[in-house]
Amino acid sequence: MTKKSFTLLLSSLLTLSMLSACGGNNNKEAAKDPGASAGTNTAAATDAAAEPEKPTEIKIMLPLNTTDTPPDTIKNEVEKLTNTKLTYQFFPADTYEEKLNSSFATGSLPQVTYLKNQTTFLQMKEAIKDGQFWEIGPLLSEFPNLNKLKPEILNNTKVDGKLYTLYIGRPLARQGIIYRKDWADKLGLKAPANTDELFAMAKAFTEQDPDGNGKKDTIGVVDRNELVYGAFKTVSSWFGTPNNWAEKDGQLAPEFTFPQYIDTMDFFKKLREGGYMNQDFAATSKTDAVNMFTSGKAGLYIGGSMQDIDSLNKDLIKNVPDAVLDTHSMVAGPDGKFAQWMIPGYNNVVLFPKSAVKDEAELKKILKFFDAMMTPEVANLMYWGIEGTHYTVVDGKAKATDNKELIEREVKGFKDSVIGEYETNGMYQSLNVLPGRIHAEELVLENVKYGVADPTAALDSATYTSKGVELQQIIADATYKYMYGQIDKAGFEKEVENWKSRGGAKIIEEYNAAYKK
Amino acid sequence: MQEVTAPPRTAPKPKPEKYKSSSELKKRLWRNKLLYVMLIPGVLYFIVFKYLPMYGLIISFQDYKPYQGITGSEWVGMKHFSRLFTEPDFLNILSNTLILFGMNILIYFPIPIILALMLNELRGNFFKRFFQTLVYLPHFMSWVIVVSISFVMVTMDGGIINELLAYFGFAKVNFLLSPGWFRPMYILQVIWREAGWGTIIYLASIAAIDPGLYEASRMDGAGRLRQVWHITLPAIRGVIITLFILKIGSVLDLGFEHVYLLLNSMNREVAEIIDTYVYTAGLRQGQFSYSTAIGFFKSVVGLIMVMTVNKISKKIGEEGVY
Repeated sequence: MTKKSFTLLLSSLLTLSMLSACGGNNNKEAAKDPGASAGTNTAAATDAAAEPEKPTEIKIMLPLNTTDTPPDTIKNEVEKLTNTKLTYQFFPADTYEEKLNSSFATGSLPQVTYLKNQTTFLQMKEAIKDGQFWEIGPLLSEFPNLNKLKPEILNNTKVDGKLYTLYIGRPLARQGIIYRKDWADKLGLKAPANTDELFAMAKAFTEQDPDGNGKKDTIGVVDRNELVYGAFKTVSSWFGTPNNWAEKDGQLAPEFTFPQYIDTMDFFKKLREGGYMNQDFAATSKTDAVNMFTSGKAGLYIGGSMQDIDSLNKDLIKNVPDAVLDTHSMVAGPDGKFAQWMIPGYNNVVLFPKSAVKDEAELKKILKFFDAMMTPEVANLMYWGIEGTHYTVVDGKAKATDNKELIEREVKGFKDSVIGEYETNGMYQSLNVLPGRIHAEELVLENVKYGVADPTAALDSATYTSKGVELQQIIADATYKYMYGQIDKAGFEKEVENWKSRGGAKIIEEYNAAYKK
Repeated sequence: MQEVTAPPRTAPKPKPEKYKSSSELKKRLWRNKLLYVMLIPGVLYFIVFKYLPMYGLIISFQDYKPYQGITGSEWVGMKHFSRLFTEPDFLNILSNTLILFGMNILIYFPIPIILALMLNELRGNFFKRFFQTLVYLPHFMSWVIVVSISFVMVTMDGGIINELLAYFGFAKVNFLLSPGWFRPMYILQVIWREAGWGTIIYLASIAAIDPGLYEASRMDGAGRLRQVWHITLPAIRGVIITLFILKIGSVLDLGFEHVYLLLNSMNREVAEIIDTYVYTAGLRQGQFSYSTAIGFFKSVVGLIMVMTVNKISKKIGEEGVY
């Protein structure tokens, strides 16, 4: 029995045992590879006489947003163009944070480590300050293409004023509404110019039978259990709520201490009470929310990127063939002003762990690969695929093939890893055909004019790094409880005090100290 | 017959065994060499996957930094344990865990036994097999699927249960978001998924009962219920107690996935358990030492529970698990 009790003790125990088990995957992946790319090896060997430089071997770990690991089609081409031997370790995006943390804990991160998003980057900051990753800032000027990366966005990714990462660029403000234009037209509604009209639209979509089947079976807004990338933050920025933090009485203060935040909560509370949005939004997953919209049940999809209209449209017209979608984002707040919250210009970054990259020489070799990735040739290959197979060029823009499954399978995995954006790496812009999508692209540019940046994007708070996610949960819970009418304004403010007393006050202090510097 | 011959045979043995014990041992080892070879993988498994990772426990007394490793990280004593016990939500999380565990023991635990008894009473091999397979099946669905199915059934926006409630003139109930419904939903899902699977061991031990006992009792005029009460149940009592002790050992270990999927902002006060807390505080924020400390705490509680229950079961004359 001693054995049994120890088993119990241990089995539930450690992340560690789990970690070592996971670590095994890498080796398998790595072991598989030499055989797979033997072709390239021999090719390189014959070249060796003429060109002594051997292909650089690079191991890359990155999140995968599709179900299956892509085949080597794109990888082989990239290897040829960049004189490298690449080993990609794809891990599902859903569980990438755990994979990242566990690999990190066991010191088994590969030379090139993609994070998952801004949040994972914030969490890594402490380790970065600890000196566990290479600083690349001083080296950047040696690489002509990497040197083109936008300084203002690089600045947002600095830690203590030093640059450790390369970024994957994203438009600054892609948020807005995707709505049923056919419904709006039928009810004689225009795209909402302000938050009141937005409310009226949601109400009309619910009550005036926009699908014309004589039944009251439609709802206005569909939302999900996500305050940032769901509807809440987008609408809150229209109400004039700051983007995470803003100055108040000369001090940086978090968004939920501003009255506009309360106004936004009231807006959603009214929507929910009226039945103009899905009643279970606090427990609805993204998949369920999207399904509700594409099944023709809901009229407004808010939050996330307006560029999602392509995929929403594709699924919606399968169910409702004559549906028409459009995008919209210029919604004025109660004070008549436009505002859009902005991301810091990147959606992910790459780190170079010291545990895997031995010296600066090796680091430079790896950076050389990324420098090559920022040429139009390689960027197009990784982002769009192989010309003629995955895309064609029309009017100087890339038109993706209609075979979406092929792109999904062979290209998507690499697409999400391309450094920079088309302005800096020179890749093709996409050729859009869907009117709503073309409109979305115009709005994305327009949004930036009214963009509100997060003043803490480049600031550091040790408390936020270690406890921020946990503390944010208090606010998220309180926000939902307020919208569901379980607590009132006083109750919400009590939760804010709770947030402060458990470390929030320290976060405020630390951000302000960093802000003044 | 054995008992008569045995004593004289064992009585003189001690002397020679002591006398030439080492060669005797060697001989015996050699004779059973294949059995010992077969033992090796098992022993290796426990050493590699169960004993060696214990070394990692050390980090719960450190501020573990991956880059510096266990040897280089700073020692902080009981810091992480005291943080756990002073966390404002700790009591709430612990009591949530214990309540769900209590429901598991009181509500779920007897169900596979009852189900096994019922399956056993089914006559006709075809029906028995058929129903057995039917109740096993849910076990093979992942929690994600189980929770999604119930989401679709109970959602306020067109879920069948709420539609039925509305049809019969009742008010709709927000099952997914009200704290009061979390526990019933949880235990119903556990029962739906696991009860059938849980019958396997009981059915096996029922099958081992001597049919003569039933025949004899029928002769004496015992009905079906009497047979169950006086023959079947006593016969599987040992199995029930063993499984009960094992179950107790997992007291703070309810399985993360299921609860995490049901958890949302509205029911957190009753739904946050130690496992989900470890996930947010530990893995997602990379606080390795802290989450290890919590894991350590859980295991120690489990160990104490198993030892206590085992002792009790021995006191009342049962076998226990060791």
